[in-house]
Amino acid sequence: MLSGIRNILAAATGLLLLTVTAAPASHAQAKKPTIMVVPDDAWCTANGYIIETDNQGKTTRTPDYERALQENIDLVTTITKIGELMNERQFPLKDLSTVIKNLNRNAAEDEMLVSRTSGASLAETPYDRVITRAKADIIVEVLWRVNTTGPKRSITYQLKGVDAYSGKNIASAEGTGAPSFSAEIPVLIEEAVLEKMDGFTSQLQSHFDDMVENGREVVLNVRVFDNGSGLSLEDEYDGEELAEIIDSWMAQNTVNHRFNLSDQTENLMNFEQVRIPLYRPNGNPMDTRHFANSLRKFLGAAPYNITSKVVTKGLGRADVILGEK
Amino acid sequence: MRKLAIIILALFTVCAFSMEAKDKAMPEYELVGNGTGAQGTYLITVSVISKKKDVSNAELARCAVHGVLFRGFANKDKRQSQKPLAGSPSVEASHPDFFNSFFAEGGPCASYVSEVSGSRQVIKAGKQYKVSATVTVNKDQLRRDLEDAGIIKGLNSAF
Repeated sequence: MLSGIRNILAAATGLLLLTVTAAPASHAQAKKPTIMVVPDDAWCTANGYIIETDNQGKTTRTPDYERALQENIDLVTTITKIGELMNERQFPLKDLSTVIKNLNRNAAEDEMLVSRTSGASLAETPYDRVITRAKADIIVEVLWRVNTTGPKRSITYQLKGVDAYSGKNIASAEGTGAPSFSAEIPVLIEEAVLEKMDGFTSQLQSHFDDMVENGREVVLNVRVFDNGSGLSLEDEYDGEELAEIIDSWMAQNTVNHRFNLSDQTENLMNFEQVRIPLYRPNGNPMDTRHFANSLRKFLGAAPYNITSKVVTKGLGRADVILGEK
Repeated sequence: MRKLAIIILALFTVCAFSMEAKDKAMPEYELVGNGTGAQGTYLITVSVISKKKDVSNAELARCAVHGVLFRGFANKDKRQSQKPLAGSPSVEASHPDFFNSFFAEGGPCASYVSEVSGSRQVIKAGKQYKVSATVTVNKDQLRRDLEDAGIIKGLNSAF
């Protein structure tokens, strides 16, 4: 009986979600992924824009975007040119330089902000600080190298678009331009950008077409708070483990039942390649937060009555943490 | 006698239609990249293989736009390669009405092309002529117009 009710509930939610996968966009527009161009790690290393930190005896190297943007005019020109070409395609980019400036300014302002009555500062968990960083849904890494053969110079140029959440390479363009005796380096870089941009955007277009047809690919993780309640994904409800129940819900609510459960223990379930519909039942755009919230509501209802918390990480990743808020 | 007249009329009609179709068909042509063009354009050399050496500018422009849309072009020496702007040749077959008028004589396709002055060459190859010219194709405007007409999708169309 319990199992029957559960199946009906999950199926009803699934039907509602899936009937809107190909919903007409007349109600609303699907959420547009943000794209940001950053210099490739290899370029940062080759040009000395690296911060080395000692992490318990192990040296960690992270790219120093801020200094690179302040000191390297070729980088600024390249990012600006790519942004200009994307603007012409009516797809404006998130500007790395502005994002970094805003982050610094917001951090300074937040530190100074206090309540007038009690003098309390803003509430901020360590996690809040970690997630407040420059990010986008699609990261485009750009790299170039000047090749010199005698008096001739050429540019090897590479553009790589990576989905920030699935880690998939969704578009790339690379090649070495024709050698030149006289052209200046910025001209060669500009030529390389112009030459490779159409191929790159056509692959990006294929990625978006696939998204429209098969849903948005996201990552969803289920975790359990270690709060002493004893809640586990192996808890049984009418003979079925909680992990199996979540797995069934995923099957019924993803587009064409497409998802991959990559890891599972009594405390975690990691779902990858989860294809969520682009629209919600009310016609509004769907994102990972709404999808994760649907699971949260499903688990919060009878017969499970499990309190859970949803934490999002951009458009494409969310964690549902079971046990408490 | 009347039947004969009908048959002759039918034959004339068929011939007229086939000649018209032949006129509209794209001639044999080649496309080669000619380096990076100014922003928003492709710089290419288009060659039409023809029995006549007086190939019109409009014909060269028609072939240049057709090639940019459905064939793409390359140039090994200049390390250049561009895929078809329309994505695939099947786009032409799926919008026959649009492209018939687009590539028709006096159609809008020629407006996207301008010939580089003094670049025209005529080479006799056997019984045929290879008529070439370097042209710039305003590919950004071409793509925008095709997106507006709903023939190809824009990056923004899904959102």
